[in-house]
Amino acid sequence: MTNTRTWETDMKKAIAEAKARDRQVFLDFFNPG
Amino acid sequence: MDAVTYPDKKVSDFINKNMIALRIPSDAKPYCTDFKITWTPTLIVLDQEGNEHHRTVGFLSPEELIPALLLGMAKTRFDQQQYAEALSVIQELLDTCPGSDAAPEALFLKGVSGYKSTHDPKPLKEAYERLQAQYPSSEWTKRAYPYRLL
Repeated sequence: MTNTRTWETDMKKAIAEAKARDRQVFLDFFNPG
Repeated sequence: MDAVTYPDKKVSDFINKNMIALRIPSDAKPYCTDFKITWTPTLIVLDQEGNEHHRTVGFLSPEELIPALLLGMAKTRFDQQQYAEALSVIQELLDTCPGSDAAPEALFLKGVSGYKSTHDPKPLKEAYERLQAQYPSSEWTKRAYPYRLL
């Protein structure tokens, strides 16, 4: 994973940030292994 | 995705500039149930209310992830009836990633968005003609086939 991007891990926080920054959410459901 | 696509600088820059990046384990409840996750990676574009507008399943290369996300952004705007914004994102996709797997659907959506914003059928016919010329074997060319008669 890149060092330059921070992944949000909380859905509610991501949605709140999307609203605050007028952006859409890129949601990655990944295999936890 | 972690080994190839996410470390790519263009991908990282695109996501940092345009989206809020969220990762959730595929077995995390209630989301795995809410979104009906059956395979990974499942990549979804959500609007600011958490509503889904686009998803892909399976690995995407750096060259395919960016246009896939642009298509998701465009479909979100289209679903919200923000056709000018949708057309702007579609044009960015077609200008920067014309050879991507997402491009034919984007071209189809360009025609529909153009029609929805003007009620003029000309954009639909133009979309079909461009699809036929540039992506003759695409499923989106088949879906636009009736527009040749407009």
